[in-house]
Amino acid sequence: MGTILGNLKTLWRSLMKKDAAEEDIGGVFRFKYGLFKELLNSNTQLLDIITDMEEKLKGHQLFGMSYIRANATRAVFHAFRMVKSLDVLSGHRFGQLYPVLEEIHQKIKAELEARREATAAALVIPYTAILKEMVDVVGGKSAHLGEAQNRLQLPVPLGFAITTNAYDAFLAHNDLVEEINKRKLAIDINDVESIREASEEIQAIITAAAVPEALAEAILESYHDMARQLGCAADLRVSLRSSAIGEDSELSFAGQYLTVLNVTSENLLATYKTIIASLYTPQAISYRLVKGIRDEDTAMSVACLQMVEAKASGVMYSRHPVRILEDNVLINAVWGLGPYVVEGILTPDTYIVAKDANFTILATHITPKPVQLVNKPSGGVEERPVPIEQQEAPCLTPAQMQTLASYALKLEKHYGVPQDIEWALDQDDRLLILQARPLRLKPPTAADAQAIPLIPGYPLLVAGGAIACAGVGCGPAYHVRDLADLKDFPDGAVLVANHSSPQFVIVMGRAAGIVADHGSVSGHMAALTREFGVPTILGAEGASDAIPPGVEITVDAYSGRVYQGRVRELLDLQQPRETHMQGTPVYQTLRAVADHIIPLNLVDPQAPSFSPENCRTLHDISRFVHEQSYRVMFQVSDLISYDKGGAVKLTAPLPLDLYIVDLGEGLQPQSKRTTIVTVDDITSVPFQALLRGMLHPDLQGFEPRPIHVSGLLAVMREQMLSPVGERFGDRSYAVISAKYLNFSSRVGYHYSVLDAYCGQTINNNYITFSFKGGAADDVRRNRRVRAIARVLEHYDFAVAVKGDQVNARFLKYPCPVIAEKLEMIGKLLLFTRQMDMLMNSEYSVELVVQNFLAGNYRLDQAAMSRSEPEPVRPSDRESLVGDEGQKN
Amino acid sequence: METFRILIVDDEDDFREAIMKRLRARKVEVAGANSGLQALEMLDNQDFDVVVLDVKMPGMDGIETLRAIKQKKPLVEVIMLTGHASVESGIQGMQLGAFDYVMKPVALDDLMDKLRQAYERRMLQLEYGRQNL
Repeated sequence: MGTILGNLKTLWRSLMKKDAAEEDIGGVFRFKYGLFKELLNSNTQLLDIITDMEEKLKGHQLFGMSYIRANATRAVFHAFRMVKSLDVLSGHRFGQLYPVLEEIHQKIKAELEARREATAAALVIPYTAILKEMVDVVGGKSAHLGEAQNRLQLPVPLGFAITTNAYDAFLAHNDLVEEINKRKLAIDINDVESIREASEEIQAIITAAAVPEALAEAILESYHDMARQLGCAADLRVSLRSSAIGEDSELSFAGQYLTVLNVTSENLLATYKTIIASLYTPQAISYRLVKGIRDEDTAMSVACLQMVEAKASGVMYSRHPVRILEDNVLINAVWGLGPYVVEGILTPDTYIVAKDANFTILATHITPKPVQLVNKPSGGVEERPVPIEQQEAPCLTPAQMQTLASYALKLEKHYGVPQDIEWALDQDDRLLILQARPLRLKPPTAADAQAIPLIPGYPLLVAGGAIACAGVGCGPAYHVRDLADLKDFPDGAVLVANHSSPQFVIVMGRAAGIVADHGSVSGHMAALTREFGVPTILGAEGASDAIPPGVEITVDAYSGRVYQGRVRELLDLQQPRETHMQGTPVYQTLRAVADHIIPLNLVDPQAPSFSPENCRTLHDISRFVHEQSYRVMFQVSDLISYDKGGAVKLTAPLPLDLYIVDLGEGLQPQSKRTTIVTVDDITSVPFQALLRGMLHPDLQGFEPRPIHVSGLLAVMREQMLSPVGERFGDRSYAVISAKYLNFSSRVGYHYSVLDAYCGQTINNNYITFSFKGGAADDVRRNRRVRAIARVLEHYDFAVAVKGDQVNARFLKYPCPVIAEKLEMIGKLLLFTRQMDMLMNSEYSVELVVQNFLAGNYRLDQAAMSRSEPEPVRPSDRESLVGDEGQKN
Repeated sequence: METFRILIVDDEDDFREAIMKRLRARKVEVAGANSGLQALEMLDNQDFDVVVLDVKMPGMDGIETLRAIKQKKPLVEVIMLTGHASVESGIQGMQLGAFDYVMKPVALDDLMDKLRQAYERRMLQLEYGRQNL
């Protein structure tokens, strides 16, 4: 494991030996910068993999073993690349990370090998033997139906599931995987026509392929078994329904796959293939492409059910799907077969039944039902008129309504969530369940939302927000001020923030809800909240102030309100996130593997436990390496000050002696002999931004002076005005490229390092800023550090003050935002130069901060002392000095 | 960006041809090999900047091919494609100096990004090679 890419090592060694004599110092930086970029890139990719795995672990996205293997492999690879980059970057100071990584790798490998046992390969399974745990073999629809029959003793039609093993056998028998992949290569995701063409071709080859003999036999044998049991010989009609894994999920394929009714024995196998082929409708193909679901992780099981000669059919909901506070069973019914309700062709009867002990019927709305769908004797279905005397009669007797309601209640209780159920009434007046799945409550319109009555007895904290993802969530409020706060986000808390941010995705799997003062329901984060099913209210102005941190709140993302406390009346509406994959062997494998990848144990870089030996997961390793890499990069600027070669001098009206090292495209092309450049020559985006701030007219000096003063004069003036101890002569360095800036400035005692990347990939963008105030026993300097910290906090940096040093970070924002912050830092750097002499009291810290934030960059003694309201008590001052003494 | 030369190594003819076709459409100079051995032969006779290499191939597999490539031409960058790779191959690939590991099938834009990054690294290292002669 310790083996390192040989040539890199050799190169580095020779570099270290000769760098002092090296003419072109830029080379060292380009090399280091290259490593640093690789490290950051791998960090991003590893975090992406972690996020994706977390999402999969929620259980409602499809994946298979190939997903787990490929991503575990990539995660290990990127962790390794980070470790190696850091080790080389630092001159091999992190060798102890290799064995740590190797140990984690071995654990992951063991998990993957332990679970490689083959699943039992039944091609068909009768419903009498199906339970919901078999979802990965029989798909969601069959699993739920089997569960209803065998665990809840609810009546379902006779039938069997044609399993995913059968599907695999069918594909393998015809070499279809290769054939399908070949055609998928022609797809351009942005070209609808190319998707449609591939879809047609793939569906054609599937329907033309042969069902392997063993499978055909198994299907027909089960079919004849059923016919014998029903005593209807070869005339048995069946319905074939797709039952893909995750198909029941609102998020994925609902309604996209096929159901074929009243299939005859001779059409059985052909229909089976047609349903398999519906995996490749244009919508299904593009859905998977967009979601990154791999075909090999998709499998189609087919439900084969006795065709019910339905007198009446319909859909029922175990509670009202729109009027969320109504907790009654709602039954829709038409004469004949069900599709006319599901497809909305007829307006069905509506019966509302209370969930009380007697199943009181609260309402029956009868509509005219002139037509019905019935089985055709030759197979298939057809429309027939309803006899006139039945058209305005209810389809069900009160007793039947109550029986159905009792089934709905049983299902809801069993699954713990409201249910969406298809039912049918057969010729013998038996009520049968055809399908049961979790009910997705539909978000109300804005007007409907306002009409939802307030729930009394709970303080209303927020009202009138826009709903990004409907639902109800309850938990303690956790305010997220900057992204660093996310790392401590508690499971089940409600995220409260000023702005929405797609970065919140990291915790969406664990958040009970999200409330933000600003943000758009059509934005990127809103889409993510729907994907994750996190109840979310955006644009709720003042919400983050109105909600006290840590207090338990209930987010009602139907009405757009937030209440204080646990609102019991709403809690029934909390939807457990759907989890199709959970409990399957493949899910458990991901769970086990992810335990070595995802958890983050190293959270506090200041803690003594922040060390290689305490890295237990790949996430820990990446966190550790990432943190260390910044420290190492800061040292880059130290390295350069020993060697003056390769740098050019910037001439500008700045009180700094500023040298530039260009790593590439940070300056306009210069001739080899150029030693002086101007601000106009700079093309580095982050450096331009910094200089814009530094060259702000109000910061040109303590006294008014013409801004066209030459660089030299400006510098001399600065020297004369500098406080004692900050002597002229130390240099500042900017190491730049088109998108990168490392700016270090040492003036007298104070030392600052600014490191920033500002490119297209938001995740790679960052600013880190470190300011050391000088001797710690100088109270004034310490005040300066605290003032800087206050300013940076105000500008949304994550700030840590330790002794006389402030460390600040600003990560993952778009380039223009990074540039804006850099400009601010430019001003701050110059502004702070005049601070020391004015920092004569604690109050002055506040005053200096306020002046800077107000854009008043000219401070003078008079202004400062004038506005001081009262002298600082001597005791304050003493304790402060005492503090500093200790830290020193 | 100056043009760079890519070699795609994959035993799946359709996949290889499709990628090549699309890279050409983006004005990338690209050649293909259907096995590790063929790839090594081509590397003897032509210069390539980046090799895209399937981990799983019959005969000489991706890891073996990577090892041989790095012995022959240490500064050629290699991007591994993984379908059913073992976790071990992630470690081995890194040890042997692979630049990146991507899932197969890969979106062309993503692949282009990685190719560019790999090319940048190669240029950086070539520069070093020259400086340290």
